[in-house]
Amino acid sequence: MIDFIRDYGLILILFIIPVIFALQPLFLPRIEKMHIQLDVAELKRKKLLIYRQIKELEMEYDIGNINENDFISGRATLKKEVSEVIAALKSL
Amino acid sequence: MTPIAGGVALNLAFGFSILTVITLFLHTRNGDQRLFLTGQRLALGISFFVFLATFILAFQLIQSNFDIDYVARYTSLETPFIYKISALWAGQSGSLLFWLFILSIYTTIVILQNQRKHNSLMPWVIITLVIVQIFFLILTNYVTNPFKPTDADFIVTNGNGLNPLLQNVTMAIHPPTLYLGFVGFSVPFGFAISALINGDTSPLWVQSIRRWALVAWLFLSMGIILGGWWAYRELGWGGYWAWDPVENASFMPWLTATAFIHSIIIQEKKDMLRLWNMSLIIMTFTLCIFGTFLTRSGVMSSVHSFTASSLGPIFLTFVFLIIVVSFGLMYFRRNELKSVRKMESFTSRESGFLFNNMVFVVLCFSVFWGTLFPVISEAVRGTKITVGPPFFNQMNIPIGLILLALTGVGPLLAWRKTGRKSLIRNFTFPILTGLSTAIILLFVGFRGYVIISFSLGAFVTATIGTEFARGIYARRKKFNESIIKALIRMVSKNRSRYGGYVVHLGIVFMFVGFTGHAFDDEKEFSLTVGETDHVAGYTFELMKLSEAERPNHYAWISDLRVTNQEGKFVTNLHPEKRIYFHNNPDPNRRQPHSELDIYTTMNQDIYSIFSGVDSENGVAFIKIMVNPLVRWVWVGGFILVFGTMVALWPRKD
Amino acid sequence: MNSNKKFFLMITGIIGMVIFWISWVSMNPADEKAMTTFVSVDELINDNINRRSKLGGLVKDGSIAISKTNYLDCTFVLKEGNAELNVKYGRTRPDLFKDGVEVIVTGEYLNGVFYADELQTKCASRYEGDLRNESSYNLNEIDS
Repeated sequence: MIDFIRDYGLILILFIIPVIFALQPLFLPRIEKMHIQLDVAELKRKKLLIYRQIKELEMEYDIGNINENDFISGRATLKKEVSEVIAALKSL
Repeated sequence: MTPIAGGVALNLAFGFSILTVITLFLHTRNGDQRLFLTGQRLALGISFFVFLATFILAFQLIQSNFDIDYVARYTSLETPFIYKISALWAGQSGSLLFWLFILSIYTTIVILQNQRKHNSLMPWVIITLVIVQIFFLILTNYVTNPFKPTDADFIVTNGNGLNPLLQNVTMAIHPPTLYLGFVGFSVPFGFAISALINGDTSPLWVQSIRRWALVAWLFLSMGIILGGWWAYRELGWGGYWAWDPVENASFMPWLTATAFIHSIIIQEKKDMLRLWNMSLIIMTFTLCIFGTFLTRSGVMSSVHSFTASSLGPIFLTFVFLIIVVSFGLMYFRRNELKSVRKMESFTSRESGFLFNNMVFVVLCFSVFWGTLFPVISEAVRGTKITVGPPFFNQMNIPIGLILLALTGVGPLLAWRKTGRKSLIRNFTFPILTGLSTAIILLFVGFRGYVIISFSLGAFVTATIGTEFARGIYARRKKFNESIIKALIRMVSKNRSRYGGYVVHLGIVFMFVGFTGHAFDDEKEFSLTVGETDHVAGYTFELMKLSEAERPNHYAWISDLRVTNQEGKFVTNLHPEKRIYFHNNPDPNRRQPHSELDIYTTMNQDIYSIFSGVDSENGVAFIKIMVNPLVRWVWVGGFILVFGTMVALWPRKD
Repeated sequence: MNSNKKFFLMITGIIGMVIFWISWVSMNPADEKAMTTFVSVDELINDNINRRSKLGGLVKDGSIAISKTNYLDCTFVLKEGNAELNVKYGRTRPDLFKDGVEVIVTGEYLNGVFYADELQTKCASRYEGDLRNESSYNLNEIDS
């Protein structure tokens, strides 16, 4: 009898808690602000990735994997991209 | 906790999974962030219940609760602790639960890692992953449930126990490692599907999944190598790869996955090959599921196969669904997938990567063809054919060698177009190295594929060396660093690239190892104490023949003294012939097993098997195999793993 | 020709070569051991098939006979349904080889005897159905 209560009681608790945890957000007021927080993080990440790409481009040029013209145009494109991202971040 | 809790946990996981899909789908329709949060939490709930079910099963195995059919089948009271745990994936239902367990771990990590990232992609990523979970939840809940009670009308006091052939550490690690690989590809697949549905083909998601794909690839590679290692050390047929359908089932996704981790670099850098990459990851994931199916359905008569069960049709249906939905989505998004830039020159890095990709896919198709040929032949002509290793070797060796060559060529090409001067400067040393190797080998007397393989190996090694040298030189010129410092900084700032080159070196080592097969030698003979016989220039003398009674087996031990052509001592070998459960009254339950002894050097392995004994007359029957260069395969494997870890080493963000 | 057309032609060429290569190898295997036809015991005996073949079946209980002069040589009877076949095999016997075990033999049939040079037993079981290799799945009550 005690086993029965223990097992099924345990199951009940282990069931109820996840359900409550999962349903909790539904009772909050509708959230819009999240978007902005998330967009900032996304843009920051994008900026980091573009900087890395610029560094790698410089390395490829040093080794000789890209010719001069491609290097200059490639770097210009990336720098333009990064300045767009920085501008977008500033506006938020 | 009684096993009932385990079954209930699985049921709850299933319920939660349905709710997750519904909730997240509604979120994508109306954008309500609360639904997204709830959906995420429901998904975490699925993982929670799956973890619970897995731990309960593990607990039952440890406690040896033979009321559960699964525990009784795969363990006994005598089974050592570690193998009670590994019994978790020893049987069909347990292994499916384990698959689900690993998928739940990955899903949890993906959800927690991306709470602040990729917000537009995440809902469909989670939906896709959960749908895969649903598939396995259906199997473990309703088709083959690990918590099924034992079907006996008496109280079971001891279980079947695990076959001694499976009681070694490699066999305990090999399946989980493979699963970590197979399941790992679900994540990039989920991102790919989500990107398709959202019409988002920007490189941003590509960067995220590259690491995931590489991790999954690492585990898959390790799993395959471990499987070969186990076969070589435990099964006693002297080889590590038999082109068995189950081996092929793990090799095929490895091939497309390798192609994927290469071509994804192109998409990251140049935003090209979108369509191709999408197809590759879908194919890889499909092959993973298909491989899981091939192992269980009994379609192929293989050394590993099981009897046909209802599992087969269900898996096939799932594979069919994946293909139809994925390619349907790709067709739907075909405009967004069109590449922005075109391939410009054949001597560009892009085309080098593309060639390499095509060869991988060709190799995959070739293995697929060889594996399924018997099935197709039976369906079309009615005759049952089996396809053996010579067929696969004949088809695949040339393709493999082309791949090896490309491994060297690719890194030396420049982006967009390699100028003539660069071509000459980059290729001269490696080509000279390769050619001189070929000439020396010809001179020494080698012929055929052996020469091509070793020469290409030298060629690729030269290119890798050149790449490192060029990078160090460039840094020294710019920053005036010492060689060591330049090397460390260079690798540290470009972990993927230089880690990748190390992986390539590992592959070269493995090819050298594979080539050793051309010189395999073997002989079977009988010896009484004091007698000798010869194989491949070695002399084997039986010094002693003894017997021993051990806790769970009986053993005949042979003591072989090995000397070389000059009479110099090489080593002692002690292969054994064992009988497990030797005291069992039922002779059918006694399990003979040959415990090999292997003497290994970089040059060759001397592989000894005690095949049989005539104890009355003191005669030992011995099989000796001399396998050159096998160790290069394992060393190459370590180098490969090391290189991948360098590539994966996290950077401070 | 613009680069797109060149590209397309190259892909088509490669696909063509691949199909040719695979078909060619499939039809001309270099090694006789590359492809073997699986036949049933009945077919083998009735059609007197001489080419290299593969057969599957069970080892008839009590039929394994090991030569007194050469321990490696043995004969046994392969049973497939009601059909039986005498098999001679001269190499190291797999550990799992014993009465009632499922085997696959490969070799040639000559004058009523099948000369096998390959003998395989099904792998140590890990999944349902193969437990017949570990003797019938039979939970015995063991006196404690």
